[in-house]
Amino acid sequence: MDHRTLEPNHYTSSDSDSKSSSLNSKLGPESVSSGKASYSMTKSPCSSSSTSNDNIANAATFDHKFRNKNSTLDGNGTVRPDDPPLLPGEKVQGVAREVTYLCPYSGPTRGVLSVTNYKIHFRSMDRDTPYVIEVPLGVVSRVEKVGGQSLSRGENSYGIELFCKDMRNLRFGHKQENHSRRNVFEKLQQYAFPLSHKLPLFAFECTESFPENGWLVYEPIAEFKRMGVPNEMWKISKINEHYEFCDSYPAILAVPAQATDDELRQVGAFRSRGRIPVLSWIHPESQATISRSSQPLVGVGGKRCREDERYIQLIMDGNAQSHKLFIMDARPSANAIANKAKGGGYESEDTYQNAEVIFLDIHNIHVMRESLRKLKELCFPTIDESKWLSGLESTYWLKHIKCILAGAGRITDKVENHKTSVLVHCSDGWDRTAQLTALAMLLLDPYYRTIKGFEVLIEKEWLSFGHKFQQRIGHGDDHHSDADRSPVFLQFIDCVWQITKMFAHAFEFNELFLITILDHLYSCRFGTFLFNSERERIQEGCVKQRTTSLWSMINSHLEFYKNPFYHHVPHSLDPVPTMRYMKLWKSLYCRWNPSMRPQEPIYVRNRELLAMKEQLENKVEDKKRDTKMRTSRTTTTTPTRLTSPMHV
Amino acid sequence: MKVSRMSFKSYVDLDESDQKLNSSADESFCEQLTPKILPGEMLIAEAQSVLLFTPTTSQKTGKSGVLTVTNFRLSFVTSEEKPAEELCYQENLLLGEYDICLSNVDTLYLLSGDKKRRLLPGQRVPERVKVLFVLCKNMKVLTFSFKFSPVGHGKTLTNALLHHAFPRRHQLLFAYDYREPYFKYNQKVISFRDPEEWRKEMERTGCKGWRLTYQNQRFQLSSSLPEFFVVGKEVTDSQINIAAQHFRCNRPPLWCWSTKSGAALVRMADIVSTVPDRKQENAMLESVRKSHPRKTPPSVIDLAKDLPLPKDLSLSYFRLRELCVPDSSRQFWVQDNHFFTLLENCKWLLYVSTCLIKSAEAADLLHKDVSVVLQETDGRDMCCVISSLTVLLLDPYFRTLNGFQSLIQKEWVIMGHPFCTRLRHIYTNEEENQQSPIFLLFLDCVWQLLQQFPTQFQFSETYLTTLWDATHISLFDTFLFDCERDRIFAVKDPNNPLILRNVWDWGEMYPDKDIELFYNPFYNRPENFELSAPLDVQPNVSDMQLWSQCYFRFVPLLELIGGGKPMIDLAARAALSIENGSFDIVAFSKHIGSFYPFTHWRTNTKVPPLLINSSLNLSNIDTLLDTQSVITVTDF
Repeated sequence: MDHRTLEPNHYTSSDSDSKSSSLNSKLGPESVSSGKASYSMTKSPCSSSSTSNDNIANAATFDHKFRNKNSTLDGNGTVRPDDPPLLPGEKVQGVAREVTYLCPYSGPTRGVLSVTNYKIHFRSMDRDTPYVIEVPLGVVSRVEKVGGQSLSRGENSYGIELFCKDMRNLRFGHKQENHSRRNVFEKLQQYAFPLSHKLPLFAFECTESFPENGWLVYEPIAEFKRMGVPNEMWKISKINEHYEFCDSYPAILAVPAQATDDELRQVGAFRSRGRIPVLSWIHPESQATISRSSQPLVGVGGKRCREDERYIQLIMDGNAQSHKLFIMDARPSANAIANKAKGGGYESEDTYQNAEVIFLDIHNIHVMRESLRKLKELCFPTIDESKWLSGLESTYWLKHIKCILAGAGRITDKVENHKTSVLVHCSDGWDRTAQLTALAMLLLDPYYRTIKGFEVLIEKEWLSFGHKFQQRIGHGDDHHSDADRSPVFLQFIDCVWQITKMFAHAFEFNELFLITILDHLYSCRFGTFLFNSERERIQEGCVKQRTTSLWSMINSHLEFYKNPFYHHVPHSLDPVPTMRYMKLWKSLYCRWNPSMRPQEPIYVRNRELLAMKEQLENKVEDKKRDTKMRTSRTTTTTPTRLTSPMHV
Repeated sequence: MKVSRMSFKSYVDLDESDQKLNSSADESFCEQLTPKILPGEMLIAEAQSVLLFTPTTSQKTGKSGVLTVTNFRLSFVTSEEKPAEELCYQENLLLGEYDICLSNVDTLYLLSGDKKRRLLPGQRVPERVKVLFVLCKNMKVLTFSFKFSPVGHGKTLTNALLHHAFPRRHQLLFAYDYREPYFKYNQKVISFRDPEEWRKEMERTGCKGWRLTYQNQRFQLSSSLPEFFVVGKEVTDSQINIAAQHFRCNRPPLWCWSTKSGAALVRMADIVSTVPDRKQENAMLESVRKSHPRKTPPSVIDLAKDLPLPKDLSLSYFRLRELCVPDSSRQFWVQDNHFFTLLENCKWLLYVSTCLIKSAEAADLLHKDVSVVLQETDGRDMCCVISSLTVLLLDPYFRTLNGFQSLIQKEWVIMGHPFCTRLRHIYTNEEENQQSPIFLLFLDCVWQLLQQFPTQFQFSETYLTTLWDATHISLFDTFLFDCERDRIFAVKDPNNPLILRNVWDWGEMYPDKDIELFYNPFYNRPENFELSAPLDVQPNVSDMQLWSQCYFRFVPLLELIGGGKPMIDLAARAALSIENGSFDIVAFSKHIGSFYPFTHWRTNTKVPPLLINSSLNLSNIDTLLDTQSVITVTDF
């Protein structure tokens, strides 16, 4: 079968004026896709699959629109006709003409390549339907020159290759004789890796603004209040107000009410990097809790710490329903044991009375990085259909995803069905622990399944608790083989996606929301995922003052990210963690392949159905109001903790 | 969930501990329980105090009741009350909740301890039957224990089942005994038994260069073809008569469908191997060319080349079934470890993908105004699959429920797909067995289309699954015969004339609330069928999914409570239905699982936690772990 000849993320500039119903907007020159398309385009978007390319309409499409709007609003007077659309604060740094983009799907095409301080922009000139390729430089992990002087054979062998963090590589051919490569290469090096060249990340240069302020989404005290904390058993502690107690923890912590600051300090001395067990979530009815920490510093000698033991007892006592505590160690037991050699380890059931240690068998960041590398090999640029399933299995990617989900499911089960509190840790408690607590909370608490709730969840469990985004992603630095890089957060989002596939109606957000988060995890356009900890973000980066939050953009255009199937489900979700249900997220990992279009006209159809339903509901409401008017006035019910605390 | 006194949960091994058994079991067998009997149905054997185990629970939970064999069904009746929320599950008016039609029985096994012995018809049943394991053609499994039954009940019942579930003559099927009067009322499905119906279909598609021939009246020409079929206008009846003899099963090129511009879809058999030249074949293909308004030569697609033979498909299905019907939860999790590789090895998805690739190829040619001739050995298996799929891609009429049913009637039933042989309604020796789930392969392909084009089909996946189940019910004639001739002969048999009941009268088998679920709530009916574009299917293996509703529904372990497609489906139904404007999805979500409306096994079947994690086996990654993580890295 023919492959479609368009690039999914190439769009004509003509779509920039289309209105907000972007899921229906055309992403590109659809009509070139195949002979069949000629009349498939004449119909309403929901009746044909051929509009489905727009679902790949990732953030880039929307960005594009905002940007155009913004740049005109901005009145940037120096825009030349050749210039790519620019964000406020974005500047063209270098342009090369007669560059060939070597598309792995539709072959070479010639055009103009521009490098800005935010992105690389290529516009083809030699095709009937011009297309554009645009990649934020934050996505680039490595830039290489290809085709030396002696080697250059063939027309396009001399040029530049970009290796990206989002499962693709891009290759450009330059003409050797016009020396266009050197300038582009230099600019790429500088602006793809600004931190290695003493330049600021783009988020600090970008001046765009949105009606919503995403920095206000998460307010720790309000979030604790939503959960009913402080209460008899838990208090808010300001021991880390100036990040002196633990520099990778947030300023505001919830700890057992009876624990004194002195005790906290002693517990801190016994936990790796001072990351003591603190409250993540509390069950509104049973008071069973999820706490998180780093590993105890047990070591080979089996060191004990009375204060730590007592402190764990306090966590257990916080829940009157159970006299037991589960300590979920995310690691494989072999790794946990091996950690003793370096002074770490895990709690002994002999010294921690009534605690049961369970190993969740999740592998470390290096295993995960390797797994993703294999997955990219499998998915990009094309798929070997004859060995697709076994190839997928051999990457272990889905097995890891399943394992994390299974771990989160066990935590959920203990808290929800056994009313027992759980303490989660791995080694440092900022990678696997964050995955597990965040997923368990997502399964347990419907609030986190809303758009704003999910933003809070990321702000809380990932950002405030010091998942090292800077190190794991490697924003703006050129150490592409850094052993600290790892797709830990990507795995979390993948797990969330798997759950949304199992419980499609339980989430307020859609797939685009998740993909947008991942796109801007790398893009460096927003301050949200910069730096390694709350302390760095506040004390070194001043991100709230100097950058824009990703949530500002998302919350200003919520309609793009809403799931038309959403129904508020008040109870916990119980996914079945089996390989039989694990799916490869093709609309993320394989989205660069034009034959990989996801097909969800069902979305559109459901929107129509919802609109119908709304009309009906309005009618019902009208009638109800009528009857109410006739009878006496009744009070409205007050929504309880499930509503967002932010706008109280 | 309501705990009823008739269900049990055992924490001891029923097989080994005779003394420790749940004593309440004995007391609960006091009531007389009898299955509902249809007119013409006869009770053959009965066993009292039988336990029916919940699948994959290692025979630890289940229900107790009375097991009977009739000439129609294997029936299990329990006095246990159904929890109220299960009333919304699919209800079969002919079969009880735990009943299966005898035609659905695929294999019987006797279990004793860890031993599993297959029982073949004609074999002696041992004196003492402890556990009987029934594997069905639609992947359902039933495990019965006669531990508490009176002596001899197990043997008598097993004997009766072995004898009646594998009939050697067609006249032994229940359709011949059923005495309920029949009033046909579904007139919307076109049977294609009447020449007028063919004419209408030709008119609907606007086909020009073709005509109806009566050459096969009284099946003189071909035993597997209908009495009327459509051939090229240029061909005379005598030419047809001569040419037919050169084709296997005497099946010359037959018209299936035409595009508006006149390209035709044609199906035919291979030329008989004893015929030295292909002269007659060429003459026939020439007639296809002449029937094209612009005399464009047709493109012949050889279906024998890339598509599986019935035997290959059958093997593939058995392997797939092994993955979907695990013996125990232990086996389930062991398989889970290598599920993707096992799935790839069974080749099912490859075959589904290949069918879609071929159909897309044919549809593309037709769309480009080229006539397509599908050619296959006898032209009765893959020709049915590919011709129906091709027109489904092109003609939205066939994507309506009645259109789809008419399509099956036309391309499968009338055109002589050997349902009786492929579904093994009649028992043959293993060597002669030609059972093969070709129809299921087709339904799976349609299901894939439904996944890719969820708004393009009027029917739902529940309909497709129900249709597959219906092929194993020996009461309707639709899927009971190898060809139209056999059917007519059965009707005309003076000794015991068969009353035809077609399966399309769904009201015979399901109440309205279940028929309602056959309709896809997301269906977006095109305003104009003729302007509709072909479905641009993605047919690669990597685009295929496993049809979990159909294949996993009998594995309680896999049911997502309050999840899966049914929730979305129900919400959309609620939005569509004005009466149910206040539909409470939240209340539903606690009772409805991802296999709705099918599974009834919703006892507590929580996954044993240890098993989940022990399934991670990273043999070659372990080395990486040792060298990198333990020595050099902080976070591991």
